[in-house]
Amino acid sequence: MSDVARQSVRMQESLARSKKSPGAPLRIATTNAMSVSNLHKSYRKGKLEVPVLKGVDLEIVEGDFTAIVGQSGSGKSTLLHLLGTLDAPDSGEIHFQEGRIDNLPPRKQEHLRNSEFGMIFQFYHLLPELTTLENVLIPRMVRDGFFTYLRNKRKYKKRATELLEMVGMGHRLTHKPNQLSGGEMQRTAIARSLISEPSVLLADEPTGNLDSENGREVMDTLTALRKNENLTVVMVTHDNALAAKADRVINLVNGKVAVE
Amino acid sequence: MYKLLLSWRYLKTRFIALASIISVTLGVATLIVVNSVMAGFVDQMKSRLHGILSDIEVSAPILGEIKSPNQRMALIRNVVGDDLENITAVVRTPALLTFDFENKPRTQQIMLLGIDDDTFGKVTDFEPYLTNEIKKTAFSFNLENDGYGDRFEPGESGWPYRRRRIEQRRHYKKLIEEQERLFQQTSDSYFDERGRLQQNSLPLNTGEIQASYENKDGLHIQPPVQQAFDQQPSSPTPAAEAGFQFIPLPDQAPDLGVAHDSKNAESNSADTNPADAFAGQVGNIVSDGQGGTYQLMMPIDPHAKYNPIDEEELFDPMRSQHTGIILGIAISERKYMAENGDLKNVYMVRPGDDANIMLTTIGTNARPVLANCTVVDYYASNMHEYDSSFAFVPLSELQRLRGMIDPLSGEGSVSTIQIKLKEGADLDLVRDKLIAQFPPDMYNDFDIRTWEDTQRPLLAAVSMELTILNILLFLIIAVAGFGILATFYMIVVEKTKDIGILKALGAPSQGVMSIFLGYGMSLGSVGTGVGIILGLVFVSYINEIADWIGKLTGQEIFDPTIYYFSEIPTIVNPFTVVWVGLGAIAIAVLASVLPALRAARLHPVEALRYE
Repeated sequence: MSDVARQSVRMQESLARSKKSPGAPLRIATTNAMSVSNLHKSYRKGKLEVPVLKGVDLEIVEGDFTAIVGQSGSGKSTLLHLLGTLDAPDSGEIHFQEGRIDNLPPRKQEHLRNSEFGMIFQFYHLLPELTTLENVLIPRMVRDGFFTYLRNKRKYKKRATELLEMVGMGHRLTHKPNQLSGGEMQRTAIARSLISEPSVLLADEPTGNLDSENGREVMDTLTALRKNENLTVVMVTHDNALAAKADRVINLVNGKVAVE
Repeated sequence: MYKLLLSWRYLKTRFIALASIISVTLGVATLIVVNSVMAGFVDQMKSRLHGILSDIEVSAPILGEIKSPNQRMALIRNVVGDDLENITAVVRTPALLTFDFENKPRTQQIMLLGIDDDTFGKVTDFEPYLTNEIKKTAFSFNLENDGYGDRFEPGESGWPYRRRRIEQRRHYKKLIEEQERLFQQTSDSYFDERGRLQQNSLPLNTGEIQASYENKDGLHIQPPVQQAFDQQPSSPTPAAEAGFQFIPLPDQAPDLGVAHDSKNAESNSADTNPADAFAGQVGNIVSDGQGGTYQLMMPIDPHAKYNPIDEEELFDPMRSQHTGIILGIAISERKYMAENGDLKNVYMVRPGDDANIMLTTIGTNARPVLANCTVVDYYASNMHEYDSSFAFVPLSELQRLRGMIDPLSGEGSVSTIQIKLKEGADLDLVRDKLIAQFPPDMYNDFDIRTWEDTQRPLLAAVSMELTILNILLFLIIAVAGFGILATFYMIVVEKTKDIGILKALGAPSQGVMSIFLGYGMSLGSVGTGVGIILGLVFVSYINEIADWIGKLTGQEIFDPTIYYFSEIPTIVNPFTVVWVGLGAIAIAVLASVLPALRAARLHPVEALRYE
């Protein structure tokens, strides 16, 4: 049994325990998790206005592993940020589970980011002052008030430990990010993105900064996740080989979805 | 929760921020030290100012008088009523004090206070400030045998010192006398029986020289210097030589004379003894406490000519003292730094020494009066202003000297009535009642003041000093606040990515803001806490620290020659400490508001992209 296989077994066990409805069907192919229509976004560089997205339309099917590929500067990262409500589009609409989210008040967007979306970044973006475990717990701390958190602390810690063990980081709970390798950091970031039990995982070039070995492990973790959990994964990458592992590939060319 | 966690982690990992609040720490410590020392000073100063001043004073203008003080005091008792603790009358006048130091006369301006033995100590804190232990409990104007504390070696003060000094002077005088006699014997051989120079040794004007040097005996010549002291014996006669013991030093105070003056003894031998005649005028024979008596040598009639020579006849300084005078210690004391760095004191006039005072009589035809006195003790209130000018003599003596005694009633007028009120009485209220009783338009030369009124300029100056010092020091903390601001701004910039991460994970802007506000507050609290501890430790060891710095720099920080405090007084006011602490924390928080706002406003995407 390879490491990855062992991980996925653990992952299955762990997810089965936490699953809200373990017997639910794996895929409801007809439901859209997210949809985007006529999305425009441009950045201003001094006086020059640089259009990045020029009318993007796409649907992301619930439970699908969707890969968004494109050249550098094609706007794929921007699209992912917009999906994750980190940024606001100039025009167009973004829907999540039947509701428009791009024009929600900040408080609701923050809640979405915290509870519904799990985010993974190319540069891992862990907080350097915190240990692996604390980094994983951060979304929980952000969501709960002081006393709620303290009340549930033990539960959260157990869950975070499980997740870290699931991604193969069980032996690194008290290490700081600067003591970890790139792959380890990214796996920690994956565990962090799962702590608040999101429905959509948004991954921005998750392997972009890793060597091929670590990159493959991360990719395997992601695919295993998607399979064992009713989790929608949206991954941005410029690597067509990685994208090939996805259920669906969306090509972004010059700020528009290329016709397949 | 993440706010606390992150604030705490930032605090633990960003020591440079701690450096930025060292200025807060120092500012807080300085404020506490300065306030404690100032409070200590003000407290000491107030208690000392108050100590000698009494609660309320009703005073005549300087050199003026309050006539029939008993009647006024009865009136004051009536007005003040139950609040009155005690009341005393004082005569206060500027005077000149002259004493010998190293055989040279020194004259000093003093404020002479005639005080009542019984009541003065009950109205002001007078007796605790005396240096003699006996006088502190049983006050008198008598010279004591001992009890003058460790200022002096045993036998170097009081009666033993006085006797030894007189012995020395007499001995010295005798030696000089012997020298003179030898000189005269030698010079006699140059003259013939008629006083003319023999052998024509001086060629010119021998007649004039002879005439000028001839005394009434026609035989002896005296050295020219001797003529300056025309009261001194010019030559020993056979009669005098038989009974002669001591002759006064030419340059000593005239009253320090000996009982037997050869010339006077001879010239007065035919008359009645002048001592007997004089004794009737002076009277006032007082026991000296050693079984002998001494006589107060101030003449009863202030207009009588003061003649020190006559008094010598009655006065044996070995057994008697003049009127006792208590000198402010700084009049006598000179402090200097010895070569080894120790502080040394020199006492120019000691308990047991004689001095004389010159003052004026009362009234429009004021005339100077000279009187002898014997220093019986020092007054050491540690208020330099008082210690360097005040001298105390018995009230009745001063009244007599200044001609303040009403010839008809025999009651002496005074210059000040001092009143002590009961604990907790309202000084200003009583003062206003007294002003109403002695309205300025009727008694327009009465000045009625509380001790605070008298010292208001000083108290106001000190309080203003304290206020300005506090403002300045708080400005220092404010400057530190800008340091914190800059440091925090840097930290926010450094943490831009973390802020982006937190926002991407759903942290609200105010949450991010409170991380940095909490950070600022914890930094401020740490800085303030350390500052308070530092300040309090500094205050409690301030004297040791001052000594140490003094040794290190060779410059005495707290020079007792200037301040007349042996130690730096301190009082820690808990309210001040709390206020300073709260103020410093507030400044630290205020300084972190701007960086925190910037952090809150950061755009998450840009923050994440920041490298």
